[in-house]
Amino acid sequence: MRENSRSHKAQVVIDRMGKKLSRQMVGSLVGCVHCGLCTDSCHYVLANPEDPTFAPAYKADRIRRIFKHHYDWTGRFFPWWVKAGTVLTDAELEELKDIAFGKCTNCRRCSLNCPMGVDFATVNRMARGLLVSVGVMPEGVAHVSKDQWEIGNQMGVLKEDYLETLEWMSEELQDEVEDPAAVIPVDQHGCEVVYAINPREVKYDPRSIADAAKIFWAAGEDWTMASEGWDMTNFGLFSGDDDLGGAVARRLYEKVEELGGKRLVISECGHGFRSTRCEGPNWAKYDVGFRMESSIDTMLRYIAEGRIEVDKSRNSLPVTYHDSCNMARSCGVTEEPRELLRQVCADFREMHPNRAENFCCTGGGGAMSMSEYTAQRLTSAKVKAEQLRETGAAVVVTSCHNCVDGLTDLIRHYKLDMKVTQLVNLVAEALVIEERIPAVPAVEVAEVAVLTGRKIVVADDEPDQVIYLKSVLEDHGAEVHTAEDGDAALELSKRLKPDLLTLDLAMPGREVTEIFDILRGQSDLADLKICIITGRPEMRKLIYERMDAPPDGYLDKPVEEEELILAVRKILEIKVH
Amino acid sequence: MSDVLYFSEHTLQEIALVFMGLVYVLRIRWLLRFKASQERQPTGARDSRAPLKGILYSWANIAMPWSMESSRKHLWMYGQFVVFHLGVVASIGLSFIIPYAPSLLENGPLVLLLQVVIGVACFVGLLRVIRRVSSPHMRAISSPDDYFSLILLTVWFFFAFLAVPNDTSAGEWHLLAFFLLTAFFLVYVPFSKISHYLYYPFTRYYLGKSMGYRGVYPLHTGSKAKAV
Ligand code: SF4
Ligand code: SF4
Repeated sequence: MRENSRSHKAQVVIDRMGKKLSRQMVGSLVGCVHCGLCTDSCHYVLANPEDPTFAPAYKADRIRRIFKHHYDWTGRFFPWWVKAGTVLTDAELEELKDIAFGKCTNCRRCSLNCPMGVDFATVNRMARGLLVSVGVMPEGVAHVSKDQWEIGNQMGVLKEDYLETLEWMSEELQDEVEDPAAVIPVDQHGCEVVYAINPREVKYDPRSIADAAKIFWAAGEDWTMASEGWDMTNFGLFSGDDDLGGAVARRLYEKVEELGGKRLVISECGHGFRSTRCEGPNWAKYDVGFRMESSIDTMLRYIAEGRIEVDKSRNSLPVTYHDSCNMARSCGVTEEPRELLRQVCADFREMHPNRAENFCCTGGGGAMSMSEYTAQRLTSAKVKAEQLRETGAAVVVTSCHNCVDGLTDLIRHYKLDMKVTQLVNLVAEALVIEERIPAVPAVEVAEVAVLTGRKIVVADDEPDQVIYLKSVLEDHGAEVHTAEDGDAALELSKRLKPDLLTLDLAMPGREVTEIFDILRGQSDLADLKICIITGRPEMRKLIYERMDAPPDGYLDKPVEEEELILAVRKILEIKVH
Repeated sequence: MSDVLYFSEHTLQEIALVFMGLVYVLRIRWLLRFKASQERQPTGARDSRAPLKGILYSWANIAMPWSMESSRKHLWMYGQFVVFHLGVVASIGLSFIIPYAPSLLENGPLVLLLQVVIGVACFVGLLRVIRRVSSPHMRAISSPDDYFSLILLTVWFFFAFLAVPNDTSAGEWHLLAFFLLTAFFLVYVPFSKISHYLYYPFTRYYLGKSMGYRGVYPLHTGSKAKAV
């Protein structure tokens, strides 16, 4: 095909590339000497040693060839000599998409290992941005970007759901610490701290909001959360869309300024921290007038200033730390989490390599939202799994929500006996606040029968799992019925009209996603709440590929009792008074 | 010395040098035409903003094999890199010594030193050719320019090795070959990957600046925990 028959999208990509070329970018595009030294710094290469197409320089060359052909004289005059080439068809753009999104998590490990200073991750991000600008992207990326543009956060959390969750978590906190003043303040003006979070916390991990609130309360902080502009994540970093990146960052900065906050505290999220703290001011061309810090810094400061007291013996299991790529390699946050861990954990052990040399959790770069590459992602996770296994730790701590999901998936895939948690959870657990809270086991009593009067169908084909879920739910007062396959779940749901159906996604018989669709299509089951409990990482698409009626909850196996009850209560909107 | 050799050592080299200088100037102008992105960084909990430190660290990176896993893990490759580039420096130096300060080559130990450095560099060049051809990963990322540049340099080292004593008693062919190749190099280099040293200061400068601003560079190894 000749150049004059190039597709419209291909032409746009080429033209826009010219506008995206900064001096830094051009340096990385012309600077590679093909020495191959970065090759084995990439987890994709290490997990697929036979396939040279995973090598960072090879992937970079797929992008570089276009640059050389159109913007560099050597490539224009001697294309064959320097392997320059153009793109002509949409199919070629699709191939480029599979490289830019499917074969690289933009973890920057190769960038820091290149003696020439070639920053491939930044080049790859540019390629993603070009593809996104012509609509060539994984489906999940399209959905998440749309939500962040339109709803204001990347998980499509509505304002009322967000505020309801904060209110609910406030009540939990008041209950736990027996202090009616222990509330999560919203839209308070002139506070010392404005706290911004990841929407995943609202949807799937509200406990981390409650834990952070408990720490702020214990420290006597003057803080608030915003009713809008509270999402510190930024899908622009993953999609390469600087406009989205700038708009999201600006929304957050303007909110903090509107509230007159003195300090923006960013909850534990690697890409959120990098986007908000490091990239956002550049994308938005915004000179930020307040201080910004990670909640890790905040918690450490509280301990250093004696505002909170911690007891490390409360976290006695052996713990290791996974450095998020964005925190360590792009923002230099490496020592603070360790300092904090040493204060709140009795047995902290390093993972090797660590800090800026750590391997990606394999869920970075938005990979968790790209279900079409799940198999490839899990194969590449072999390297991380080995790293984790060698620590002998029972708990892996990470300061990133993406990493939590990425690690959870690989731990299950590689059958590691570990659980994933965050610093905020460990600090909350280690908090010493006895003198302010009389030790009355009243909460326990209230929680025992919290599900009384609720009818729940548990659908799972693993007898152990059924017994476990049934007993936990019954212990909390629920009436539980069980189904061992999708059809039985369907039949029981129709007949019993339960309040909730917990649905495993790997049961024999009909594809369970089909059962899910049927359930959602039944008008008489319109009110049925469904909580997915799955051991299949590829089912994350139910979270990211937006459907009209997504599941009301999503839990990864293995599920802990507290996590299960919390999720069920959130779905059924049961508050403890 | 024949007229042809004299021409190759002097006039030809000078023309080639001027040509290379011109093309380099154009190349740098071309690079500078692209706008450098700005680095805005707000105040944080720690004063991690140290762009100058980052730049210096980034430039010095190449001389600190312990600072990069890729060098640390491949010390053999790193050693080859050092020897290869010392060979380049020695051969370039030779191309100036022979025409402008030939008396230096009457110093036996210097001749020996140059021959050892260039000879080992030539051997390393051969190893590199073998690696590039035999490794599927290297083949996948190699262009004709990569093969040609490497082979050309290795052959150039070979003739530089022969040219070091500046001895024409057995004929001039080796000196002629060395200077013709040098002139060809000067003309070819700006168009090839060998011009990487021109970009190196820029790429590492910007990476270092950005990483310094963010407190990534100098890399933390655990011994220097930052104060909060
Ligand atoms: S990106 Fe850097 S390390 Fe990788 S092949 Fe190119 S020059 Fe070598
Ligand atoms: S940025 Fe990370 S995932 Fe991408 S090529 Fe480099 S090392 Fe591999």
